[in-house]
This record gives sequence, C-alpha cells and structure tokens, in this order.
Amino acid sequence: MSDEVELHPAVAGAQPYMRAETQGENSAPEDAPLFDDGAGRERLEKVLSRYPTRRAALLPLLNYAQERNGWVSRPAMKEIAGELDLTPAYVHSVATFYTMYNQRPVGKYLIQVCTNISCDLCGGEEVLERFLEETGTRPGETSEDGLYTVMEVECLGACGFATVVQVNDEYYEDVTPERVPEILDELD
Amino acid sequence: MAFPETHERETRTLLSRHMGEEEARTLDGWRERGGYGALEKALEMEPDEIVTTVKESGLRGRGGAGFPTGVKWSFMPEKGDDPHYLACNADESEPGAFKDRELMRWTPHLLIEGCVIAARAIQAEHVYVYVRGEFFEVIRILNRAVTDAYEAGYLGEDILGSGWGCDLTVHVGAGAYIAGEETGMLSSIADGRAEPRIKPPFPAQSGLFGDPTTVNNVETLSSVPMILDNGADWYRQWGSDDSPGTKLWCCSGHLNRPGNYELELGMPLKDIIHDVCGGVPEGRQVRAVFPGGSSTPILSRDELDCETTYEGLSEAGSALGTASPIVMDESTCIVRAMRRVAHFYAHESCGQCVQCREGTAWVTKILERIERGGGEMEDLDTLYDLCEQMTGKTICVLADSVVFPLESSLDKFRDEYEAHIKHDRCTATA
Amino acid sequence: MPEEENSDLVSLTIDGVEVQVSEDSTVIEAAEKAGVVVPHYCYHPGIPTRPAQCRVCLVEVEGQDKLQPSCKLPVQDGMEVHTDSDDAELARKSVIEFLLVNHPLDCPICDAAGQCMLQDYAFETGQLQSRLNEEKLVMGRDRIADDILYFADRCIICTRCVRFMREVAQDDSLVVAQRGDRAYIDTFPDEDLDNPFQGNIVDVCPVGALVHEDYLFKARAWDMDKTPSICPGCSNGCNVTLDTKENQIVRLKPRYNGEVNSYWMCDYGRKHLVMGNRGVRTEVPLVRQGGELEPMDWSDALAAVGERLGGIEGGSAVVSPDACNESLHYFRRLLDTLGVPADAGSYRVEQGEEHTLPGFPKLTLREDRAANGTGADLFGFRRVESWPEPEPGAPLFVLQETLREAPESYAEDASFFLYLGSHLSPAARRADAVLPVTTFAEMAGTFTNHEGRVQRFQKALQPPGIARPAWMVLSGLLARSGDGSPVLDAADAFGEMTDERPEMAVLNWGRVGLKGQTLDSGAGAEAGAGAR
Repeated sequence: MSDEVELHPAVAGAQPYMRAETQGENSAPEDAPLFDDGAGRERLEKVLSRYPTRRAALLPLLNYAQERNGWVSRPAMKEIAGELDLTPAYVHSVATFYTMYNQRPVGKYLIQVCTNISCDLCGGEEVLERFLEETGTRPGETSEDGLYTVMEVECLGACGFATVVQVNDEYYEDVTPERVPEILDELD
Repeated sequence: MAFPETHERETRTLLSRHMGEEEARTLDGWRERGGYGALEKALEMEPDEIVTTVKESGLRGRGGAGFPTGVKWSFMPEKGDDPHYLACNADESEPGAFKDRELMRWTPHLLIEGCVIAARAIQAEHVYVYVRGEFFEVIRILNRAVTDAYEAGYLGEDILGSGWGCDLTVHVGAGAYIAGEETGMLSSIADGRAEPRIKPPFPAQSGLFGDPTTVNNVETLSSVPMILDNGADWYRQWGSDDSPGTKLWCCSGHLNRPGNYELELGMPLKDIIHDVCGGVPEGRQVRAVFPGGSSTPILSRDELDCETTYEGLSEAGSALGTASPIVMDESTCIVRAMRRVAHFYAHESCGQCVQCREGTAWVTKILERIERGGGEMEDLDTLYDLCEQMTGKTICVLADSVVFPLESSLDKFRDEYEAHIKHDRCTATA
Repeated sequence: MPEEENSDLVSLTIDGVEVQVSEDSTVIEAAEKAGVVVPHYCYHPGIPTRPAQCRVCLVEVEGQDKLQPSCKLPVQDGMEVHTDSDDAELARKSVIEFLLVNHPLDCPICDAAGQCMLQDYAFETGQLQSRLNEEKLVMGRDRIADDILYFADRCIICTRCVRFMREVAQDDSLVVAQRGDRAYIDTFPDEDLDNPFQGNIVDVCPVGALVHEDYLFKARAWDMDKTPSICPGCSNGCNVTLDTKENQIVRLKPRYNGEVNSYWMCDYGRKHLVMGNRGVRTEVPLVRQGGELEPMDWSDALAAVGERLGGIEGGSAVVSPDACNESLHYFRRLLDTLGVPADAGSYRVEQGEEHTLPGFPKLTLREDRAANGTGADLFGFRRVESWPEPEPGAPLFVLQETLREAPESYAEDASFFLYLGSHLSPAARRADAVLPVTTFAEMAGTFTNHEGRVQRFQKALQPPGIARPAWMVLSGLLARSGDGSPVLDAADAFGEMTDERPEMAVLNWGRVGLKGQTLDSGAGAEAGAGAR
C-alpha cells in the first residue's frame, strides 16, 4: 500500500500506532509535547473538525499521543486536557478505562498473546509461557535490554487462526510454541 | 494472509465473494466489480424507499441481537434540524467472532457503500465507523479506502452530484469489549469511557451527542448494497422466512478447518462442524460448542442437529449470536473453558452495575479455585445463585453473557464439575 | 423532589398503598411519599444524574418482566409497584452480598459505622456477609484532598462523589479510574482536590470510603448527639446539624433546605466553627469592685449593673453580627432605655472571598463571614469597617463582640463599660461588668440570613459555668427597671420581638420551624420547602 500523501481529516484520528520506531529506546521522554509543532497542530485541527464537541476528540488524541510518543504520559494527558477543555483527571479516567494506552513506556516490541477461549483451546497459554521464557520476562514487564514487553491479551478477533499474537501493530496467526523463537528472531 | 476457507456448501456469491482478491480493496478494483452501483441506485431513491426495501428483505442485525435492520432504521424520527448519526459497530470483540475483520480487510469499500446507503436511509449527515483499536491492519486498509472514496466523491458533500451528502469518520477504540455494546459505543465516542447507559431513551431518540442515532454492525451494513442492487425478493432466496440471507460464520476451536464461511442460514450446526469445517482433529469427539460466540449457552454433542437460524438456535436453548461456533473436543476441561470465559467478562466489565462488577469477578474466582483444586460442592449452588442474580438486572447484558454459557455448562456438565471438585483436578480429560 | 403543584398528578400504588405524585416523579420518589424507603446508593436527590448503576433500588412493576431501577423509572398512572415482592427482596439482598464480596468487614474501625448505608441494608436484608471463599481484593487508601482520605476497599463505586463534584460543584477533578472490579475513585495522579465545597463528597458517600481526616477515629456515630442548627460561618445561613460529643462540637453536617443550601455546605463553614471554639470563656458574671473584677451570682451581678445603669444617659454600642435576633432586640431596647442614640451602635463584619456552588447558586459562601449581619441592620446597628473609638468619658455597651481585634487602648476612657460576651479578650477585661453569655450552639434563637430568611437554631451544648443566652440576661436587666419581665424561653423572646417589631410581624415561631421564614413572606405564605 502506498503511503498517505496527505492525511484526510476523516482518518486523522485513526492512525495506527504501536511501532518499534516509538517504543523501547525510541520512546519519547515523559514531557515530550504533542501539539507544539505544525504536525501536532494540524492533527489536532483535523481531528476536531470531525466532531461536534471537543470532548469527542479525546480518544483520537490519546491515539495520537501514543502514535507520536509510544506511550501516554501524564504531561501528555494534561496537554490533551488543555486542548479539549477537560480536566486532567477526566483524561486520566478515560485513559485508564482502556487497555491499549500504555501509561509507561513499553519494550520496542510489545508482544500480546491472546489466551482467550479459542486461542486457549489451541494452546494460547503455552505460547504465552514460551514468549515469557524466551524473553526472560514476567507478564507486563519490559526486558532489561528494552526490547520486549510480553502481555496476556483478551480476544484479538481472529479466533479462527489461533493462537493469535499481536506484535506491535501486526498480527501473527496460527502461532505455536515452537514458532516463538523464530518470531523473535525475525524482529530484531 | 488468511482468508475464508472455501467449501462446496458455501454461498460465496454474496458477502465473501471478493475475499482473497487484493484488487477488490482498491477503489478501481471495487468499481470493476460493480462497486458503488448500489449507492448510485440509492441516490435515486427516497430514504423511505430504501428503508422499505431493507425491511422487506428481512435482513437482521448481524451484531448478535438479530433485530430486523429495516425496522431499526424506521425508528429514527422524522428529520428535523437536529443531526442524525449512523454509528457502524466495527468493534468486533466477542470471543469467537472474526468476520467483521475479514470483511473490512478484503472489502472496505463494500462497508463504505453500505454505510452511505444506510446514512441516506436514516438521513444521517455523519457516519462514525468505530473500529477496535487492535485492528491496525484493518484500520490502514479502511483509512485508505475512505480517503479514496472521498476523493472519488462517494463521501462528502453532494455525493455523485445528487445534492445530498454525508461524512464518514473512522473512529478507533483502544481496548474495551464493552465499547461494542450499543450505548457503550456511543458513550465511548462522545464522552470517552465506554459505559453503557440505561434505555430508554433509545439511541434513535437520543444517541450520539444526544441526537437520533442508529448503530449497525459491519456485516449488516455490508449486506445492504447487494439488497439494493438485486431487491428484497432476490435476497430472500437464501435462508428461512425469519432468517433470510447468508451469514458469515466464524468457526474456531478444535476444528480441522477453522475459519470464515459464508453459509445460508439454516444449515444444521453439526454439518457446519463436521462437513464444512472438517470435524475435530485426530478423530476426537465434540464435547461442547458455544454456537454463537462465547456469550451463548453451550450445546452438548447430542444437541448439534439444530438448524442454524435465529429461531432454530433459540429453540435449541441457545442463540445464533454472532454465528461464531467455538468447538471444544473431548480434550477440553469444561471448568477451565468456563473459567477462561468468565475471566474475560470480568476483565471487560465496565464496573458500573454491582451484579456485573462484583459478580463476574466472583464467579471467576470460584471457577479458578475449582479448576486448581479446592472446590466444594456448595460452590455449584453458589454459582447457580449468582447466575440467577446476574441475569436481567443490569444496565447492559455483559453479566448475562457470563451466565448464559456458565449456567448451561452447569446444567449439562454437572458431573464433570462434581468430579473435578471431588478429585481436585479434571478427570474428564484424563 | 419535584414540586407537585407544578404539574399534573398521577396515581399509582406502592406495595398496595395508593399515592398521588406529579407525573415527572420517579418511582423511588413516589415510594418515599407512600412511606416506603427503597434502598439506594447511587441515587441522591441532590445530584442531577441518575446512572441507575447500583441496582439496589430494583422493584417489581406489574406487567414488566424485569425488575426496574426505581430511581430512574418514571411513574405512570395506574402503575402497580412492589418493593417487597420475593424477587425484589432477593435481588436487593444479593446486591448487598455482591457488595460485601470485596468490602472489608472493618466496621469496628470504620468512621461510617452507625451511619453506613451498606451496614444498614445488610442488617435490614439479613445479608451480613458474602459467601466469598476467595481473597478479597485489596486496594488500600489514598489521599483525595488535604483533609479527605479515600479507602478504596470500602468503596462501592456508586459515583455520588464524582457526580457531586462534576454536576454540583462543576469541578471535574474527581473521577472513576480503571474499570470493572479494579475501578476506584481518583484525582489526577499527585493532584489533590482543591474546591471550597469538596467536603460534601464525604457526606454523600453512603459508606466509609471517603472520610475527613480531621474526624478520623474521633467519634462513633452513635456516640454523637445531633442538633438542628444554622451554620454561623457566613450570612448564607446554611442549615446544618451539629454533631456533638462530650459537650464538644465534633463536626457540622449540612441539613436539607431547598431554599438555602439544598443538601450541601461549604468547607469554610465546616471548619470555621470547630476552630472558633478557641479562647478563654466567660463563665460567671464579673463586676468591677475596687478596681478588680469580682465574680458574682446572677442576681447580685444584675443588681449591681442595674444600679450603675441608673445614672447613665447616652454612650455608644458595639454588637457582634453573630448575636441572634432576640439578643439584638433586647439589647436595642436597653440602649433605647439608656438614651443611646440610634446611630451610635455599630457592628463590623469580617470579610472573605465569595464562592458560589455552581449547581446550587443559592449556596454561596458570602463575603460577610457572620451569621446575622442582616439582623444587626434590622435592629438599627450601623455597619462599619472598624469600630469607632468610643467617645472618651462616655459609656460603652458591647454585645457579644469579642473585641479580639480591638486596639490595645480600646475603651480605656469609657465612663462605664458593659460587656456581654462569651469570650474574655484583653479588651473585654477592661469592662466594668462582664456578663457571660452563651454562644449560639449553647442556646436557642434565630438568625436572619442575607436574603431576610429568619431561621431557628437549637441548643446543642451545655454552656460553661452559669453563662446564659444574652436575650435572657438582657430581658432580666430590663425587668429590673420595670421594663417587662424576665424571659426564660427562646420562643417567648421571639414572640416579644415579633410583637414589637412591625417588620417582623409576619414571623411565627412555629412557621419558622426548621426551614425558616422570610421577612417578605406575606401572611399565609408557606415558608421555604414547606413540610419537608
């Protein structure tokens, strides 16, 4: 697929994130601003143009924070709150409702293993175990080299291809414990 | 790249016809396949006519509840000064379901076309397509298609010179199953936390931003263009009177050929499992099936003759749900399976209603204890009591979603639970 | 509750009792009218939104399959509601059991014990604990504000506190974080609440999740006496309850008055009184004899003072805007008798920043930080920035003004200095006679708030020593010179006052009741929220 030439406002709040370029050692510092430059302002304006209220831009802007910085820091929440006339507490309330907003930096490769029913029937928990073993981490913890964060995740919506593993923004399907070392090798 | 398996009993002429064809994703490729023809037709029609056609087709909502789509549209009030909205539920997250993902990956323009036609029917000026956040690949594909559709004049002001227009915005979730609940989704878009709210008022009266709103599932909206293209009678040649058309089935679990299949509604469930999906691996027997996703009551091996229509599965004591059979063979520990399902709903409870917030977590803890050893017979009575008190008492049906499978498993596999408690381990799978 | 006069009435039955309520009522309100209290947590009549999320107010409605949340369900004509059906009672009991899954059974050390809606309903339904065999979730406690602690384990996520802040204080700084059984109440991390009305979140908390740190472990609910009163913190006149223990005010709690403060009060008011208890109290009459203030009993003291007053003509007076109407009335009468010119009486009001509660603007912490400035005006006292230095060689009469902030030399040269007060400040020690009077908490009387609403307060504390209400002392003093007879009862004092004051003629002790009556309420007009 070709790169977007210019971002259409219709999709401005819906850009993928979870990329190696913004995670691990590439994570932005806590106080990295979101809307201090042309790109940030433009994104903000485009997103706001799609909703009748400023508040509705909250999820799109949290997505943007994560896309840009790799995680959603407290200063980022405050900055978003300021732009949307919300309190920081309100943004905190919303951000913590969802599981995809990382409130601290994660490894360069965020590995999320589905262990929900269909995947569990096909060995999801063993796949998770294997990833933890190979990366030497515990669930949710980032490996010392900053490369991997392995987590259990709920249904990823690809149940016919169990076990499903999401590595950053990509799905790996029909994953078996045996395939785990190979997947990790491909990453770096 | 996965795409639906094919099988001779499939009806691959409808929804899934172009799955697997890379070019169908592009605007040109889609137009070459007759894409946006239905929209052109719809632009010539009055909104009422579109509603009537869809009503006559008998299309039922594919998100799980199965409510007739045309009837739902007709609940929208007369268009006044207030904006109308269409929210497309693309937050597919019911364990077992993975059809909307495939639809959007392969035929994003089909969805866009369906959205615009539906928007015209309900006179909405803005469509929000709420895609679950994890679907990054889908989001890329959909974003591309939306951008192209705007450029080609299928979206925006004055669509194809008709003088009528509507916008479409891709809105992305961030990991919350409950955002797939109708009012939860509207809360998520407008306010942030995906907390369902009490009905009435129904979204058609007061929905997104307090204005009249219809929420339709991806598969539902993707079914609309062909109905407009070919007419209601044409659509009714498939399926039963009460469940016309075809349905994308999502088959997972212990199957030789899991995957998506487009099937006429009505095929016996056992045929889907044994014929279409090639049965369970290594010649094992089926132990139980969640026929419509993890929130539907489970059926045991000897209940699989039922017809897979809305009414057929209801008669069998379960539900069509999202048409997502999760098949468990005899190597499956029922206690563990139920613990896993309960754990999911506990994780996804928004936390508003007491029965759901505390009940889903409590049920999970009991099942965990039985699973690891340490269960007591009284636990089963407690589970039954909790099921009763978690049914029909909350704002939305998330709590009920645990009860349906759990209670049916207690009814049908009580001996397994008892043996598990007695021996502090699973004996059924030994 | 919606006013019934404003809309059409519908009839329905609650547990067989027929009631008529306005058509915009909900079933829970109709039930209250029928004398049936439906247990509820998330519903609070003073908080606009009704999320219907605690699910404990579920009732059975004939013709409906599912139990319905009565807080949200609009009444309909002919509706038949059962709060006591088996299904409704079982559902209620089960909600208590669900809540007790993670709620600790730490009632013996919980500040809310005795005033806890979970404890109440647990006893009411007999559901004293949960069958939970698993470990309870432990979340610990957190600071929400400089004086408010949050015990997350006790919290039942009814969100009253969040909605009070959001909808009534209109300060969206308190939220629900996380979801499911991990949900808890939170501020933005590391930022405390900072709102002049935040104390109300402790009051609306139906359990012991939010507690004032000041009162932590200080008193058990059942050890405290509760007396209806008026907050003396400013001229708004918020209706309050004084919680007292061992003759000390432990705290103030707002008391509903739909015309004044709804269910709320400000934090200044909560703290002001407890802090204001400091200082040396006057306990017995003191009369200067041979240069020294000598203690006396009332009879001797009044006789001595009466004698001294006999030869006095003119002078000036200072009153406290915290003195009640009745005391001001008799004081004014005394001054008139002594020929003190009307404009020679003054009062000073401490000023502070004004804060309005956005969701109920009638509740405003007024700039005037005194309860009865309006009363002082009514009785002809002149408002001043600072008291005029008394004319040297002339008499000075002081009512309840502590003179704490008076200059060192104040009243040094007065020919006669009569001090009726509750505290003995350095300036007050200069008086020729000190007559110990009670504070408002130690007596009954009325205040007139900023908009002319006259409101009663009751006696909550025993006065120290032999201190008496100023109106009692003053009427006794007047009686000595043949002017009326001593008044021993606040109602009588009020009666004499309203008889003598045409602008107060409309007032009636009974009608003032617990909700007050405004000076412009014409004869027959019902005061405030009526019978509530």
